[in-house]
Amino acid sequence: MPGTIVAFDKVVFSYDYIEVLHQISFSLCQGEVVGLLGPNGAGKSTTIKIIAGILAPRGGTVSVAGLPLPERAVDVKQRIGYVPEAAVLFESLTGQEFLELSGRLHGVEEDTLQMRIREILEIFGLSSDRTSRLDTYSKGMRQKALIAAALLHNPELILLDEPLSGLDVNAAIMIKDLIAALAADGKTILYSSHVLDVVERVCDRALIIHQGNLIADGSLESLKASTNQESLEEVFRALTHSANVEPAVARIVAALRS
Amino acid sequence: MKAIWHSIERFLRSPLVSGLLRKFGIDPVRYWLLIDLFGQLSERRELFSQLGRDGMTLQKASWAYYILSGLMVLLFIATGMALATYFAVFLAMTTFLLLAMLLSETSNSLVNPVEGLVLAHQPIDGATYTAAKLTHLLRILLHLVPGLNLIPALAGLTLNGCPWYYPLLHLLAAFAAGLVVALFCCALFGWLIRFVPPPRLKAVGFVAEMSPWLFYVFFQFSREMRASIQIPRWLPRQAGPRRMLAATLCVIAVTIVVFGIRALSGDYLVRVAAIAQGGSRAKRKVRRSRLSSLAGRLCGGPPARAGFEYVSRMMMRDWQFRRQMIPLFPILLMLAVGASHVMPISPFSGKFTGMHLLPHAFGFAFYMICTVIVFGNDHQGAWLFLLAPAGAFRGFARGVYARLFTLMAAPHLILLVILAWYWGIRDAGLFIAYSAAAAAVYLGLELRLIEGMPFSKQPEASQNPYMLPMMLLGGAAMGIAVGLQYFLVFHSRTAVVGVTLALAGAAWFLTRSSIEAFEASIRFHLGMLTTGSKGLYTEIAV
Repeated sequence: MPGTIVAFDKVVFSYDYIEVLHQISFSLCQGEVVGLLGPNGAGKSTTIKIIAGILAPRGGTVSVAGLPLPERAVDVKQRIGYVPEAAVLFESLTGQEFLELSGRLHGVEEDTLQMRIREILEIFGLSSDRTSRLDTYSKGMRQKALIAAALLHNPELILLDEPLSGLDVNAAIMIKDLIAALAADGKTILYSSHVLDVVERVCDRALIIHQGNLIADGSLESLKASTNQESLEEVFRALTHSANVEPAVARIVAALRS
Repeated sequence: MKAIWHSIERFLRSPLVSGLLRKFGIDPVRYWLLIDLFGQLSERRELFSQLGRDGMTLQKASWAYYILSGLMVLLFIATGMALATYFAVFLAMTTFLLLAMLLSETSNSLVNPVEGLVLAHQPIDGATYTAAKLTHLLRILLHLVPGLNLIPALAGLTLNGCPWYYPLLHLLAAFAAGLVVALFCCALFGWLIRFVPPPRLKAVGFVAEMSPWLFYVFFQFSREMRASIQIPRWLPRQAGPRRMLAATLCVIAVTIVVFGIRALSGDYLVRVAAIAQGGSRAKRKVRRSRLSSLAGRLCGGPPARAGFEYVSRMMMRDWQFRRQMIPLFPILLMLAVGASHVMPISPFSGKFTGMHLLPHAFGFAFYMICTVIVFGNDHQGAWLFLLAPAGAFRGFARGVYARLFTLMAAPHLILLVILAWYWGIRDAGLFIAYSAAAAAVYLGLELRLIEGMPFSKQPEASQNPYMLPMMLLGGAAMGIAVGLQYFLVFHSRTAVVGVTLALAGAAWFLTRSSIEAFEASIRFHLGMLTTGSKGLYTEIAV
């Protein structure tokens, strides 16, 4: 398909012989913002890690910008920005040092790198903390540092795994607007989240994974129309057969009273 | 000195060396970025358990080895040892210690890959990453090889028939052996990472780390094995075929190492996420331990039961704790094998027997456990204890003590049955009572070494280099205690009964005060977590 950035074809992945992705296929085109949805343990983060070249699939083929994975993983990593779900950082580095490391590993020229770091840190409100160690950062500040590190080298494909986790309201609004602006600039964005109303606002298309299978792939309107639902949350509950939560809540309360 | 280091560094980062690195498929820019990063993280004592020792720790360790090797040199020179034997002993000791240390270091570095996880999505190729990791590991050689060999190399000149160039030859051989060992360790883990499923890698790495020690134990004790390994009988008698065989073996070894390192550089960054996150998905049975229930009833209710079960499970499952216990296994195994040979001989017979060592072996084991039990792989989970009501810690501390006590009580009960068979119930009962009382005194004393909540601190690799000197000192102290016991106590049963009662009383009082001190230590260290470093909060917020 012309303009295809990610081609994920019949991908199978296993952890310890337990298959967690069963022949999943989809593609992402340039400039698309695609939401990746699914219940806990559905395989969303695994899918993102495979695209990021961090995990190798057991079967099927994956390519990013025409580069096959995992064979061309280094070239793929050069073209992607990845915000991981769990913010594992080098705690003893300062914000500035962490961003410099990330930019230099991606081969960004020093002048450009320093200019970008200065700009992004200022926009994220981290300028005054740039020389503080990351272990003194709040959760939101760490998330901002991760997002900054993912954008520094101006990647073609941005993989966001719960990027708004821990961000304050203003920062979250800014990131949502930033996603739209980056997409308008031709970047492709894969956005994994459990916050469905955010996905509904920022994404053009949604992929829903359930128990390792891709159960839905389409524009938000088409998904709503095909399931006769009015919101993405209702679509999600209908497709993943989520049970009514009220009886479960009642059982928990009863167990606590016993 | 600094100027020399700077010139060396400038040369290493020069275009000439960069070109050489590129020829090996290593990206020089990223290689030096990683080297600087690893150095920075080590010096700032971050990811201590993953990146190994900082410069200061290595320096301290090398001083310990200077002293150890100096003492050995004095002994060897005084006995007029032949030069070839002298050289072989130090080379074998260097190889063995480096193998044990580098296996542990490589395993720690590769199988517990926090920093690998952070870097996995960065555009770093496997060869560059592996080269940087290997270079970082080689720092250990630069510190420890001189520590173990500089004094012996120079002192060798005083031996009969020693050529003037001996020190150079000795040091070169030691460094070469160290390099071979380092490459072998990386290659071994390269093969393991390629063929072992990620969730089983830690367990297999654990066995690999134990292997030098187990080999040492078997070699010490199995006379049959040593007798059967008559290497010269296997070899061809003529020099030509012998050389061919040696060359073939060398080629095979080099091939294995080269392909192992290639496997490591090819696979590691693709597998690192699976290694870090791919814990065993095997379901565990819900088990209710009667012992923990009993501990709960006797020692302080649900908090005591929590302490008992928490320590019990973490001792079995915490990878870092199990690794720290590796040097203990061979010692206990050696003692067990030694004791089994002399089991029919009663310590009341007037003869010296290995059974005299029993209570002190427990003392040594408790020393090691109590020293390392506060360190754990999942130390970030310590936030849970910040939420516990203050009154719960007394029971919790008692529960932890109860669990450690069972480690001593259960083997004593088993031994009672076996020894009663050989010695009769009276002697066996008396000896076991004596041994248990002495071991309880050790436990009571050593409980004070537990500095804080068990499994709540980041493991410190800085302890590992002191393990050998500590074991030697511990062995000497144990020898003195055994001597006193043999010469002063085990001459009459009445004396044994008296000492047993005295020890039991001492254990009772010591344990009471040590549990209080342990509880205070838990509170103090948890308090430090809340008022000191912000690290825990930021980490647990992830």
